[in-house]
Amino acid sequence: MILKLRNSADRLISLSATIGSIGLIVEVGIILVDVIGRAFGSPLYGSQDLVTMTMVLLVFGGMALCDRRGGHIAVDIFERKFPDWLNKMIDIFSALLGAFIFIMIAWTVYESSQLSVMLNLSTNLLRLPKSIFQWALCGLALLTAFAMLLRAAELTFSNRDIRQEGEL
Amino acid sequence: MDGGTIGLIGIAVLLFLLLVRVPVAFAMFLIGFLGIWQLNGFDAAKSLLASETFTLASSPELIVVPLFILMGNVASVTGMSRKLYDAAYAMIGQIRGGLASATVLACGGFAALSGSSVASALTMGKVSLVQMDRFNYDPRLATGVVAAGGTLGILIPPSTGFVIYAILTEQSIGRLFLAGVLPGFLLLTMFVLTITILCWLKPEYGPPGPKTTFLEKGRSLIGAMPILIVILVTIGGIYGGLFSPVEAAGVGAGLVIVYGALTRTLSFKDLWFSARDSVVTTATVMLILIGAHMINPFLALSHIPDVVGNALTSLELGVFGTLFVILGIYMVLGCFLEGFAMLVLTLPIFFPVTQQLGIDPIWFGVLVVLTLEMGLISPPVGINVFIVKSVAPNVELGQIFRGVVPFWLAMLVTLGILIAFPQLSLLLPDTMFN
Repeated sequence: MILKLRNSADRLISLSATIGSIGLIVEVGIILVDVIGRAFGSPLYGSQDLVTMTMVLLVFGGMALCDRRGGHIAVDIFERKFPDWLNKMIDIFSALLGAFIFIMIAWTVYESSQLSVMLNLSTNLLRLPKSIFQWALCGLALLTAFAMLLRAAELTFSNRDIRQEGEL
Repeated sequence: MDGGTIGLIGIAVLLFLLLVRVPVAFAMFLIGFLGIWQLNGFDAAKSLLASETFTLASSPELIVVPLFILMGNVASVTGMSRKLYDAAYAMIGQIRGGLASATVLACGGFAALSGSSVASALTMGKVSLVQMDRFNYDPRLATGVVAAGGTLGILIPPSTGFVIYAILTEQSIGRLFLAGVLPGFLLLTMFVLTITILCWLKPEYGPPGPKTTFLEKGRSLIGAMPILIVILVTIGGIYGGLFSPVEAAGVGAGLVIVYGALTRTLSFKDLWFSARDSVVTTATVMLILIGAHMINPFLALSHIPDVVGNALTSLELGVFGTLFVILGIYMVLGCFLEGFAMLVLTLPIFFPVTQQLGIDPIWFGVLVVLTLEMGLISPPVGINVFIVKSVAPNVELGQIFRGVVPFWLAMLVTLGILIAFPQLSLLLPDTMFN
């Protein structure tokens, strides 16, 4: 069961990172077109809107892979001094705490998106609905939370730490 | 329970969580959220979480972070860093300690392409350690110079450290970038001077490398030209008024990608992995920043910065005394905390104090970033030392730490000079922005 979930999670994490990576390359493209266009008197209309909204996908697209790779910064000066069981407990607690935080982010941003729909909030020039990007953020945050919960389950039941298993 | 007590309890729990290895971002989120809940109610904490998360994730100023990280990653993959090293090597490699000095110069050059110290140490370590080993350089000097040289990445613009400082203190990124130029050059000169003195005292530390002909020198310089052009366009573009920092970052990343494609040193796969790595690094940075924006209002509501400010003021140390105390605390914390995390955790407390004392925020930014650099090579968690260890597995960690000591002292001297002469940090931003 956990193995099946892991395979699905890894696929979703990879997809999420792909969305983020495409977002980053698109950002470079938009800025280049805008700057070159401006030099010739026709900057890209609404480039700021596109770049800022893509940034949301870029930032949250990488969250799940960041956790999968063990990329979160932690103070590990006492790690070697702690017994293994304590380190394991801390890892499980951290993963659960991370999952809780991302669920909270998803929930609060979803509530905020309902307000955005009600008030018809959008970007300044292209009128891109803000709510769409808030939903995307919610989805990517929930995926990160799911990946963290799975990591906590793996650590608890099979002593497997996915972060030690190399690149995805 | 009053706000101050809740604030102190919050800080104590935060420190406990950090010491037991809970990720910094998670700890800040938790304490910030619970603290605001206690002080202002659940609804206030909830709406702050929603608004700060989306606002920061779509912040126009923060777009420079992934773009400059991508620029550095691609520059590394395309071999631009190697060409920088080759050019510096051809110029000064034949003098005593020349390979080590060439490494510092190349680190300085790479720092202008990348905003990350870790990326600089890793990239230049891979390129230069083999050469220094080949010419029998003392491993302490060789590894120490790479670890220290790598720290130039967060002082010489574009610098992720300055971007984060600018966001947290609402300062101009452009002014801070410009403020880092002269101190960056000063530090680079101090490093070269340190190598020269070390090799003069102990010639066996850095034997001279092979002589290069005039033609070889010219060829290697031409090889480094694309990098110099990218640096000139991106950094020059900001100060020439052609681009904003965000546009400069986008143009810089675009240029290195185009360079890689034209010279066939960058495959699609390389670009893909560089983008993926950049996205992951961005996620790390952004999550900490969002966490910082949760804990900052909590600290403000609990009046902790006021308490610290009053305590420092009551000591009647004056501007310089207070500055020494703050920088001293940074140096001590730098031994235990990751530099970036330290920045977001402490600035909300110390920055208001410096403003009360009338300390220039740009000057303070330069001093803080330099102190963070010192933390990057301070035991026991000097991250650059571990990075160097990963590319020089045969050298013992203790040897690398011993190797960085002279460079740490050089940084301390540089810090002293920058404190004594604030103009070194402020001359360029004041001249160009006023």
